Amino acid sequence: MTSVARPAPRRLASFALPSVPGNERIALAQVAEAVAGLGLSPGRLDKLKTAVAEATMNAIEHGNDSRAELPVRVEVFQSGTEVIVTVTDLGGRGVDGVPEDRAEVPDLDRKLNGEQDSRGWGLFLIRHMVDAMHITTQGDRHTVRLMMRIGSQDTRAGED
Amino acid sequence: MHVRQAGGDAAVIDIQGDVTAASEPVLMSAYEQADRQGARRLVLNFRGLEYMNSGGIGMLVTFLIRANRHNQKLAAFGLSDHYREIFELTRLDEAITIYDDEQSALSDAAS
Repeated sequence: MTSVARPAPRRLASFALPSVPGNERIALAQVAEAVAGLGLSPGRLDKLKTAVAEATMNAIEHGNDSRAELPVRVEVFQSGTEVIVTVTDLGGRGVDGVPEDRAEVPDLDRKLNGEQDSRGWGLFLIRHMVDAMHITTQGDRHTVRLMMRIGSQDTRAGED
Repeated sequence: MHVRQAGGDAAVIDIQGDVTAASEPVLMSAYEQADRQGARRLVLNFRGLEYMNSGGIGMLVTFLIRANRHNQKLAAFGLSDHYREIFELTRLDEAITIYDDEQSALSDAAS
């Protein structure tokens, strides 16, 4: 059986932001700049930006407790036909403040009935914006990895 | 945000800039103004929307709960394709009727 070697991921951007609410806007702008020219359609770029903003906001507020001295690191890679963005905080506390595997799926009816908090849409949005999401925790480092295929028209909700 | 009466029992809330959790005081103030004016139908104009995040969606859910309590109907227009898709994903579009433009929203609100 012949294997085809995958090209090594090419790093397009790497930056760290202080954990200050609102800095997710800087992250999405810098990621958008890094992937410009890769061929993502405007609609797919909007989705990637929303996913990056949500992941960064969670890292700032829930991972790092909005402690400005703790950085959120964002890295952008291209690997073949995939754009990969990693967002890493130092809190390891999951998305929306709870571990991802215990995060409640938001349900509008339950929210309108007062059975769920109005908030808690972050992880749901991320999952639906990108082609895959993978979360790892190593010690204090909590990383959300977002993947979007270049050239795809549809975004598949899913998780690695 | 700006509230304007649009004839009949409808009020239009012109949203400008960001819709995030931080927008809650401003949007709720706009709601209270429309409510004081006796609006039964609240039309959200998203043409001036620059950015909305999950906190803003949560805030819209709170807005919707208030409107439901007062038997007020909610409509929206001016959403970009991206935010329209987010409304569909979250099912907000089932509770907030979405129109392409203000004229459609108001003519339907009047019917």
